[in-house]
Amino acid sequence: MILNFEAGILSKKAREVPNSDIALSCRVRLARNLSGARFPDWATERDRERVFAQVRDALKAEAPEFRVEPVAVYEEQEREILYESHLISKDLLERAAGGGVAVAPDGSVCVMINEEDHLRIQGFADGLDMEAAWRAADALDTRLESHLEYAWSPRLGYLTACPSNVGTGLRASAMLHLLGLRLLGELDAVVRGLERMRLLVRGIGGEGSEAAGQIYQISNMDSLGLDERAIVGRVSRICAEVVRQEQNARVRLIQESPLILTDCLARSLSVLQNARLLATSEALEFLSAMRLGASLGLFSRIKVPEVDKLILTMQPGHLQKGSGLTLTSDERDEMRAEYLSRKVANVKLKC
Amino acid sequence: MKCELCHKAEAEKAIRRSVEGEEQELYVCGSCAQEVSREKKPSPAEASGETQRPSSPEAGLPPLPLMGMILDAAFEIVGRAANPQAEQTCPACGITRTEYRKSSRLGCPACYEAFAKELDAAVLEMHRSLQHAGKSPAKARAAWQRQQIEKALDEAVKGQRYEEAIDLRDRLRRLDHPETQGGPT
Repeated sequence: MILNFEAGILSKKAREVPNSDIALSCRVRLARNLSGARFPDWATERDRERVFAQVRDALKAEAPEFRVEPVAVYEEQEREILYESHLISKDLLERAAGGGVAVAPDGSVCVMINEEDHLRIQGFADGLDMEAAWRAADALDTRLESHLEYAWSPRLGYLTACPSNVGTGLRASAMLHLLGLRLLGELDAVVRGLERMRLLVRGIGGEGSEAAGQIYQISNMDSLGLDERAIVGRVSRICAEVVRQEQNARVRLIQESPLILTDCLARSLSVLQNARLLATSEALEFLSAMRLGASLGLFSRIKVPEVDKLILTMQPGHLQKGSGLTLTSDERDEMRAEYLSRKVANVKLKC
Repeated sequence: MKCELCHKAEAEKAIRRSVEGEEQELYVCGSCAQEVSREKKPSPAEASGETQRPSSPEAGLPPLPLMGMILDAAFEIVGRAANPQAEQTCPACGITRTEYRKSSRLGCPACYEAFAKELDAAVLEMHRSLQHAGKSPAKARAAWQRQQIEKALDEAVKGQRYEEAIDLRDRLRRLDHPETQGGPT
């Protein structure tokens, strides 16, 4: 199965998006389940395949432009690419029978089928345009509900496999790059503040992942008791405030601690230009610094969207697809170092 | 994080207030929280503590425990009162309480009814609410409305409240034929 994965979230920023130097992207997902069917984790393979067929038929009727495929039809590398592009989760990657994925042609909406819930409808948008992400997911959900009988109760709303998602089934999240706050030693206080406000703070890969490269996913904890618009509005407002704090931190770094900043940028550029072996997480740390420098205009010949593209394309699935080879971990590290040193060879620190 | 009202002081507390008819949660500093609580008259639900956390609602939010701990605590409390010999099972999917507790994931939508006691405590702890306030699928909403009207009709007939029963019967007919706007026949 060959797919054009250029619809990856990080790679599709062609235009200027407000706050995109700090907010990489945002997502709103809706968890939905079919009435009378076991949730995927407790279902038999046959149950899951039946659910997949129902969802595929509903998508064909209501959203024929979507490409709907079982996850199993994709080669391992392509599944990795879907994961690295944030279209599917690690759980779905490993789901055998019944796991499926449906993607809109422009990559703005994706449905995971038989992940933790029967459907996970995800709307994506650049920067902090969470309202757009929500509208996209909500519109597809409304179209699908005429073909599917959702599990729903007037008291608890949409019934989900895990009670932490019950109610609206909505999780609104933004991916924020917070290296400025980290360099000033203020990030932990911000994270604690967010958690006190009942927001979840996770790493770039979502639940259970580390915040490699100081890229954090911030999302709502509560999905019951407020309506969708209120949840999306609240997460959006708080994330905008975090973006302002990061902007402020970056200004203070330049004015008050220029040596800390330039040292970090110079070291990162030097490693990326000269390293012979680079693991993904290590490369992400240095590219994170490149991203900060590029957003502050401190590097010549590289801009934030180009760094974002490197963050995506240096990951294992993309790297192997680019080379057309299946590589061992050590071989990938060597190829990553060579690839990145070539891409940043002409970049110079201005100060 | 700055206060969402004055945007100056650090936010310390979570408050709920109604803005243009929409319930919003805001994180505010101490003085704004006092200001709002002076303006706000408690609703009957708030007065009875229906949708609030069991511990003092004005005392700020404690850090959220891990979900597994919440579920364990909820099941532990209810389990003490239950017969330890009887392993509760969902009649629809057959999953037991023990299996659910181990995985933190339910077996099917009917588990929400089967384990309602334990789950309500856990859901309240997780979301600080037990009442959905968002979107509803048209088909499920219509089925629920029908069920409610049928129940009320049954009770009205049993109680020999025939005028009310005729009204309810007409409402059922309108659900079947929404284009019919006429009165009772």
